[in-house]
Amino acid sequence: MKHDITFTINGESVHLTVLSHQTLLEVIRNDLGLTGPKYGCSTGECGACSVLLDGEVVNSCLVLAPEADGAEIMTVEGLSEDDELHPLQKSFIDHHGVQCGYCAPGMLISAKALLSRTSRPHEEEIREALVGNLCRCGAYADIIKSIQVASRARR
Amino acid sequence: MVMRKTHVIGKPFPLVEAQKKLTGVSCYAGDERFGPELLHARILFSERGHARFRLRGVEAARKQEGVAALLTGRDLHTRLGAVIEDRELLAVDEVKYAGQPLAVVAAESTEAAMQALAMIQIEYERLPGVYDIESALAPNAPPVHPHMASYRGFDQVQAEPERNLAHQVAFQRGDVEKALASAAFVLDHTYTAAPLQHAPMETHGGVAQRQGKGGLIMWMHTQAPFLQREVIARALHMDPKDLRIITQCVGGSFGSKVFVSVEGLLAAIAREVDNRPVRLHLTREEEFRAVFMTPAMRARVTMGLDDQGHIVAIRAIYDWNVGASVDAFLMEMQRIALAGAGPYAIPNADIQVNAIYTHLLPAAPMRGLSIAQVHWAVEQHVDELAEMAGVSPLALRQRNLVKGGDQLFPNFVMHANGLESCVLETARAIDWQPDHQREASGAVASGKGLAMGWSPILVSPHCKSRATIQCDGENLCTVIVDGVDVGQGYYAFITQLISFELNFPIEWITVQPTDTGNYDSDWRAIYNNLLWSTGRALLQATAELKRQILSYVSEMWEEPMTNLDIVEGEVISYATKRRLSVLTLLQEGTGEGAPPVFRAAGVYEPEVKAESLDGALQSFATTGYAAEVAVNLETGDLTVLQLAGAADVGHAINPEGVKAQLKGGIIQGVSQTLLEEMRFKDGAPVTIDFMSYPIATTADMPQQIHPIVVEIPQSTGPYGARDLSNHVLVGASAAIGNAVYRATGVRIRELPITPQRIYDALQTQAKTVEGNC
Amino acid sequence: MTRHAFISMETVFLKSFQYIRPESLEEAGRFLAGDAPVKLLGGGNTLLLRIQSGEEEPAILLDVKHLPGFKDVRYHHNQGLKLGAAVNLQHLVMGLEIRRHYALLHQTAQKLASPQVRNRATIGGTLAWASPVSELAAPMLCYDAVCHVWSSRGLREIPLSEFYLGDFQTALAGDEIITHVHLPAFPNRTYGVYRRQTVRHDGRRMIAAAAVLAYRRQQALTHWRIAVLGVDDRPKRIPEAEAALEGAPTEEEVDRALHIVQEQIHPVDADYARADYRRASLNVLLRQAILDVIQQLQSMRS
Repeated sequence: MKHDITFTINGESVHLTVLSHQTLLEVIRNDLGLTGPKYGCSTGECGACSVLLDGEVVNSCLVLAPEADGAEIMTVEGLSEDDELHPLQKSFIDHHGVQCGYCAPGMLISAKALLSRTSRPHEEEIREALVGNLCRCGAYADIIKSIQVASRARR
Repeated sequence: MVMRKTHVIGKPFPLVEAQKKLTGVSCYAGDERFGPELLHARILFSERGHARFRLRGVEAARKQEGVAALLTGRDLHTRLGAVIEDRELLAVDEVKYAGQPLAVVAAESTEAAMQALAMIQIEYERLPGVYDIESALAPNAPPVHPHMASYRGFDQVQAEPERNLAHQVAFQRGDVEKALASAAFVLDHTYTAAPLQHAPMETHGGVAQRQGKGGLIMWMHTQAPFLQREVIARALHMDPKDLRIITQCVGGSFGSKVFVSVEGLLAAIAREVDNRPVRLHLTREEEFRAVFMTPAMRARVTMGLDDQGHIVAIRAIYDWNVGASVDAFLMEMQRIALAGAGPYAIPNADIQVNAIYTHLLPAAPMRGLSIAQVHWAVEQHVDELAEMAGVSPLALRQRNLVKGGDQLFPNFVMHANGLESCVLETARAIDWQPDHQREASGAVASGKGLAMGWSPILVSPHCKSRATIQCDGENLCTVIVDGVDVGQGYYAFITQLISFELNFPIEWITVQPTDTGNYDSDWRAIYNNLLWSTGRALLQATAELKRQILSYVSEMWEEPMTNLDIVEGEVISYATKRRLSVLTLLQEGTGEGAPPVFRAAGVYEPEVKAESLDGALQSFATTGYAAEVAVNLETGDLTVLQLAGAADVGHAINPEGVKAQLKGGIIQGVSQTLLEEMRFKDGAPVTIDFMSYPIATTADMPQQIHPIVVEIPQSTGPYGARDLSNHVLVGASAAIGNAVYRATGVRIRELPITPQRIYDALQTQAKTVEGNC
Repeated sequence: MTRHAFISMETVFLKSFQYIRPESLEEAGRFLAGDAPVKLLGGGNTLLLRIQSGEEEPAILLDVKHLPGFKDVRYHHNQGLKLGAAVNLQHLVMGLEIRRHYALLHQTAQKLASPQVRNRATIGGTLAWASPVSELAAPMLCYDAVCHVWSSRGLREIPLSEFYLGDFQTALAGDEIITHVHLPAFPNRTYGVYRRQTVRHDGRRMIAAAAVLAYRRQQALTHWRIAVLGVDDRPKRIPEAEAALEGAPTEEEVDRALHIVQEQIHPVDADYARADYRRASLNVLLRQAILDVIQQLQSMRS
């Protein structure tokens, strides 16, 4: 079954025809060519495919594409503006928040969701906010530090 | 002499590829952009363990709409392996393990590929299987590889196929029997470790495309492109020169993307298709079921201690369940033998390392190279021995640890090392004390434990490492190497080294993705110990490049070369104070004719004579771990409160990068020790996702993490540096195990340390106490 | 014997289905009354996995999240809390009325899965999945939650304590839809505790869990509620044990309550925890939870 859907992604409005059983992750990657959200497990356990859906972090592998009709979506590609890196991205670079890097786009999205709610999160809050994002390199400590530093740097 | 201001060695330095990775730029498996030409490959894997099988419906599947090519073992019967070819690319008639590939298809879409495979029916006829070490070694057990003697590479292994011994490495010194007979204390225990999954966040994948008649290009996410090229080419009867592997970002490997797993099938099916790119990208379930496991370990350890506190003897037998293939594990076995007595100068040692074939999926070593599991046994054993003798576990370690100058192996004298500093500094970081036992608050008891580690760095013959640097006006400074960055900071190190040696700003330097088209390297081309070997090749190349640049300017300025130097990107003359930006030099040259192109290459080739599987021992990485845990004595619930990890890296070229690796090792150490265990039912994995195979989340992190860098220079390494990333978690599990013992009085000798195991041990302890009353 | 080898998928489902977003309960009811197999789609965290693995093969997925009133949250100090079936679990973490008046629900929801899952998972969907380790069920059972259910045959109310039939089965008929969940109002001096033991500390691989709630009326601690997870084929209350605690329980009465619980649970082996261990774990968690509640309530000013 086909669905004509419209949503905004990283500030741009898109109009697409999708099938019922396509996932939002599949559409973002294959139809829109945005490779920030990653395939990691398809079971909602790893968070590599995290995107913001109406401002809240979700696993895009477990959202059906037609469910996104009318939504506002942000992927990691929407973090930086005019080629200027987002403070979170800069902080991840400076504090070794990235090793192999596969989890990084999802981590950034979770961090973004957290900071939009709590401007100065303490460590425990950051840990809780990242519990749905797996990092096999074990870079959690530096990721948490990156987020803390970025939150302090913000006005 | 002018001081170099751009001194980047030993300073914080970010990962070179960080920005790309943080902005979502495509570089991982599944990200490749090839347009509508792209075909999609899927693999049919056996879901059964040992069985005879027949495929039905293959021809219909082949004719299915959208199918470009389909191969079964009957179409392409070939074997695969780096040293011993003990795997088949596609099974024929007999399935040896669940997860073995039976067919591969390339189609216009993933759905079409899946539909084609769904048309193939598999008829299994179950055969008796052996899935664990005990049953594989039992009399009359079915041999997993009865025809092993006919495999290519059989002469490289010490095998007894009829009793499932795939390979054996042994090491002896002194007289263990005699020493044990006269020891004051003798202790004998068995320790086990569960099989693990590497579980990189990026599942295996890549793209392959035929080039002309016989050639093939593969865009791969592998740690070892030269090894993969050789193995795949040999399996497909290709000349390795016709197969080019271009590496892309690697979204985690931990050892799973070194040896060939599904990559050979991608190459095979792409060769069947007319010049169209074919993509393969495994699902998470396939990654769990069909790539590699790490081998399960059973270690039987006996140590003897004299009344002076000297460990006088060790006998250790390490048995490893390598599944249906030993090939990827062979090289680690020698390491295990060398590390197998632990980081101690024990005069009498008898170490035996056995790889046992079973009908499980092939084993490959993981980060820590199975040396982590070896230390799980040895370093708990030393604590047990200390308790038996009534001495402090730290004092016993200090008395016996290996020191610079000790000769424990023929032709190898131990170098100066930071082993003692590692254990002392980690002990200090968590305030470990020799006398305190447990601290209890209500039902929760806490305790602290220590462990050390050492891990041999071996280099095999042919294990060359190469580096080429080119400076030109267009691309400034490009570097071609033969190793691959898997997130450990290899490219950052290269950039730092060149920036330091040539005194160039880091922005000028670009490390090219490693491409087998650049070098005609042997398959043993380096994929481990990268810093040490690439570093030495780079030092050669930078020296030559600097000579070329200065020589060129020397002619241009008509000044002797000895007057000239490069400082902060400028050629300067100490005599005439003339200066010239290297940038201008590269873009304009002398102003006449084409601007210059400087190109220099370096090769590091280890001096290893032996033409065998054996590598030569170069050095040992040494580590220390200290853990504090809290255990609920009623429920067995275990929390790691703090974990300190120290490593002697010789010289920290990128200190924050080193700490990042240590912190990662600490988290992986917690994960492997508390959570991870691959489980099977009738030989088929039942741990097939992150629910059934949990890995550590932020909720499992210790409250405090202490990464500690120790620097005792390695005279043979670049700037005195030594490799780290592979060895980083050696000792973590045993430190946690020793801490659990101190908190609870129960000793867990099986990995992982699950709450159920602690609870059971506490119950047994309670019953014993009751019995004694 | 012939079987298919496993084939899983990257971003596609093995079989396609129709996604439909009904505008009204009546429209949804017509689909439910039809011949095609229908599944209600809430957050999809479980259902989409089951479709991927082939355990469910619906022809139609009805997205009930946009039905009128399904995202409503209403609190009234006398009438209690009404939570629309499509309210997400994150609301239980963030919502002020939840924090203030249903602290146990807030406390439990905070520990539930991950932000990604909580942002999608719906109250109706989570309750209807009826997992024996459903953490949402524990506080909901303690707060005497009642499921309000619609079908073309009419409306009915199912107390959550009668909702679970065991082994992932519920009292819902095939054509019924949960519209909202109602929690009665509780007095101010109510206190609840949720305790769990899990192998991974984010909540995965539950050994056992318990929620305990009571309130204080003058010197008496009353209205005891005990809900247990992971130790039976369903999340369940243990009313006889609750009765044993009525008043101001002595140590012996707490022991007796724990004893009753032990008699009324039926844990099964999991690969990470044997049944006897889950039993023992529950006993410890529950005792701690009861003692916590007693202590907290007794320390409140009368």
